[in-house]
Amino acid sequence: MAVVSKQILLVDDNPLFLKLLARAFDKAGFNCHSANSGQEALTFLQTNVPDAILSDYEMPEMNGLEFRRSVLRNDRLKDIPFMFLTGFDDEKIRYSGLDLQAIDYVIKDTPVEVIIAKVNNLLHAVNKQRELSEMEIRQTVAALNIKAVPEKIPVINGLTIDFWHQDYQQIPGGDFIDFIEADDRYLFIVLGDIMGKKWKAWFFTFTYLSYIRAAVRFGVSDTDNSTASILQKINKVIYHDEGLRDILSSVSLIRVDRQSGQLSYAGAGDLPLLHYRHASQQLMQIDSSGLLLGLLSEGNYTEQNIALEPGDELFIFTDGLIDFAFADGKKSDYPAFAQKLQQHIANKQSFNELKHKLQQQSAQLVDDSSIIHIYKTT
Amino acid sequence: MINISKEEAGYILVDVNLTEANLSHSDQFKSELIALLNDKQRSIWLNMQQVSYVDSSFLGALVTGLKHAIALKRDVVLINLQKDIDDMLKLIRLDKVFKIFSTEEEAQQAIA
Repeated sequence: MAVVSKQILLVDDNPLFLKLLARAFDKAGFNCHSANSGQEALTFLQTNVPDAILSDYEMPEMNGLEFRRSVLRNDRLKDIPFMFLTGFDDEKIRYSGLDLQAIDYVIKDTPVEVIIAKVNNLLHAVNKQRELSEMEIRQTVAALNIKAVPEKIPVINGLTIDFWHQDYQQIPGGDFIDFIEADDRYLFIVLGDIMGKKWKAWFFTFTYLSYIRAAVRFGVSDTDNSTASILQKINKVIYHDEGLRDILSSVSLIRVDRQSGQLSYAGAGDLPLLHYRHASQQLMQIDSSGLLLGLLSEGNYTEQNIALEPGDELFIFTDGLIDFAFADGKKSDYPAFAQKLQQHIANKQSFNELKHKLQQQSAQLVDDSSIIHIYKTT
Repeated sequence: MINISKEEAGYILVDVNLTEANLSHSDQFKSELIALLNDKQRSIWLNMQQVSYVDSSFLGALVTGLKHAIALKRDVVLINLQKDIDDMLKLIRLDKVFKIFSTEEEAQQAIA
């Protein structure tokens, strides 16, 4: 059985053969794209990354080997599984193809069902290998006991705090959450999102978290614990850190004063928070002024107080929750998420129910997604 | 992925030929943008008309390109943004660092 919705690029200068092959692959459940030449295929590859490429060897102008070399020169494309199709069984061609890391080689006379089965086997083997590699990294990460989200939720009189977090495609990514108990009086709540996805973004979450933890603790010990000045300190360090030059992150930073119950907030390139006012039953947007960490040496961070009344709720979240996938593409829609949230609260549904709903929809997520909920009880 | 559509004395107009700009394009886009800035030593005006979605990886590549341009005392200007992307950039204050215009003419009037 075909791997449903896998995209394959077929390259052949014979339009009739290409049509026959495309029809058979379509029928087998593939999403097929056909190209009549290596050049046409390269144009398609400028904006697409198919799951596999099946290319003719004998083609005018750019032959299959030249096309393969062009693909190999491109870091974004070089790992796409590649198979050669040829009109005859020529060992020399076969060796040249395999030298260019083509995974397999098929003679055109091969029944089309066999060609499809070969491609399916190839995709299956590649997926299996990928799963094994990811499992290995996951096991290493688990053994090192490093996490980008906390295991314990802080307990504070008058407030209930909770969160939900989901990695994109189950691979740790750029979102991070922390609850920093700076001293007996102040708790800092951190939600960050490194720009990017998967392992590369995940790797940098720890550098960012280390800087944030250090800046919070220095801030509290210096008695300059305003969220804005903490963000500015972190920004300065990150801006000048050569190792983080291309790595930017958004951060929402909230300080909770256990004595007064007051919340102070500053944001760095983060999405506006949403504050549900119980008295008016309205969801209000809280904008901040600060830029992404690491973008400019002065990030324009300002602190504001958030006054929560009993029954009020505060939502802090990352962009994965406002990205939606539709049949004709993806879209970022903050108002749509706010509207859904308003509806959820209007239906008297709790944050636990929201978590449950998000979990059920997590397969449709298009990015890492995190949301922190703060509920004022008394 | 990006094509020069016009070379002017003060800027290069570049079409971004992507509908969904995401993780799979971000590294290449970043390299191409930085190479263009280095080669041409001029500001790059990106025509984003075709792009209907950008994920955070691609946004990161855009911002890295802008940082590189600032270091060269140049600019990355965004033109023809679709509404959803324009709204998104405003939400996260990137409209404070990118110069954003509806059309090339509007950008010329403001910058040239």
